[in-house]
Amino acid sequence: MNALTRTSIADGIAAVGEHFNSVFLRLEHWRDATQDFLESRGGEVTRAELDALVEGLVLREFASEHGCVIGAGFVAAPGFLRDAEWHLAWWLGDRNTFGVGAAAPGVRRLDAVEDSAEENFRDYTTLEWWRVPVTTGARHITGPYVDYLCTDDYTLTLTVPVRHGRAVVGVVGADLYVEDVERALLPRLAALGTPVTLVNASGRVLLSTDVHLATGALLRLDGLAGALRGGEDTGPADTGPAVRLGDGHEVVWCPGTGLALVARPAQR
Amino acid sequence: MPQSIRPRTVTHAAVFAPLEGAGRAELVAQRLTDAIVLGILADGERLPTESLLARQFGVATVTAREALDALRRKGLVETKRGRGGGSFVTYAGAGHGRLQDERLLGLSRVQLRDLGAHYAAIAAMTAELAADRASDSDVDNLRRIVESADIVQEGAARRAQGTFRLEVSALSQSARLVREELRLQSEFGPLLWLCLRNPDYRARCRETQRGIVAAIADQDGETARRLSVLQITDAIEWLIEAKAVLETTAENTAGPTNGPKEEE
Repeated sequence: MNALTRTSIADGIAAVGEHFNSVFLRLEHWRDATQDFLESRGGEVTRAELDALVEGLVLREFASEHGCVIGAGFVAAPGFLRDAEWHLAWWLGDRNTFGVGAAAPGVRRLDAVEDSAEENFRDYTTLEWWRVPVTTGARHITGPYVDYLCTDDYTLTLTVPVRHGRAVVGVVGADLYVEDVERALLPRLAALGTPVTLVNASGRVLLSTDVHLATGALLRLDGLAGALRGGEDTGPADTGPAVRLGDGHEVVWCPGTGLALVARPAQR
Repeated sequence: MPQSIRPRTVTHAAVFAPLEGAGRAELVAQRLTDAIVLGILADGERLPTESLLARQFGVATVTAREALDALRRKGLVETKRGRGGGSFVTYAGAGHGRLQDERLLGLSRVQLRDLGAHYAAIAAMTAELAADRASDSDVDNLRRIVESADIVQEGAARRAQGTFRLEVSALSQSARLVREELRLQSEFGPLLWLCLRNPDYRARCRETQRGIVAAIADQDGETARRLSVLQITDAIEWLIEAKAVLETTAENTAGPTNGPKEEE
């Protein structure tokens, strides 16, 4: 791969990083505010107190003119709150039409069933947006996936663990429409001049400058699954490590996102 | 984001999905009746409050109240006042044959075939896309849903089929197909899978689900598509046959009937 392509990919990685880091920065702000609050109460918090805090944080986000977040909040670790075994403090933004058809919805609270005795209650701690950040202790992007219970649309969920002392006591998170990510990033990736595809760690296409590659499809390239399994923490933090596949495709992690850019080999 | 914990089950989500079009009180009542009669909403289960129902269906509170009144008159719900009060499903399954039969008799063969064609079109494409797009862990999850379903109970088998269909559609990665699947489930889901009254059909339904999972695992879109269409065509044929038997019985006895192949 020549020097020009190398620069192009670095630009692409910067674009992806900027986009997601701006959302993660807000999540980290919510995390810090939540942790400070927990600290001030010695970790003894009720559902109502927590809701008031989280509502204040996320409503500001929905009020922002350039906000791309369509759902946001805090999900508590089971047993952490004094008066609720399971709890979700989650709000849906006014651009999120979930559950209201075409009507203009306004910002509203997600109505969650939190009683584990209910039939078929599914433990949310098994779901990726909870499981991964809690296990690794690091931020995580789940998706793209069709979230039929919260956005009714093709979605990415970003989550960050929240701690009290050393224990993880919940996650703060935000939902984004994949469509919004495409609008923001595709022009910047298309400008790189080399065909690139942004995939998640499962090789699922988030967006591609190749018109023949559908968002949501799995990118099936020899050796790609193995390269992605390696994880992103094996190289320099600013550009991410590059792996060259047998057919010449180059795979480069976008640091801090768990996403990778796959660049087609340069035409000769 | 809090996938699968908002409503109790995905089939519950379909029951309470927003309504479109006119005659809304009847539509609300019809949807809740189907869900109660066919076991999606269980006996003793508390329904959302009038105002919450209204919000979920996207109708006026007075419309939700009318619908609840209609359900009370049919003896399907009971309203208790005060602390711990609310509207509760009071329908215990026994004798539910009559209401199911009425619903079936109310639909023409043309409508049933048309419903089958529409649903099969959606199911075929979701299955084909799912076979192309499901990851290994998606397949594991699907397999777990199939194997953990309790097919001894009729209501549970119906809920499991609803969940299975919805999960397959989610694997298509198409938001429109998922929304269409949910819409069809909320309109006709409980009725469509009336054949699951019959234990043999419940076993067969699971076998087909296993076949579809295997095809998805093999990235065999053709087979996944064919099995999905076949399952829906089968269900529609069962409904038309059951309807024909009901019509004959009604002519012969001119009275209410429990319908064909009833097994409780």
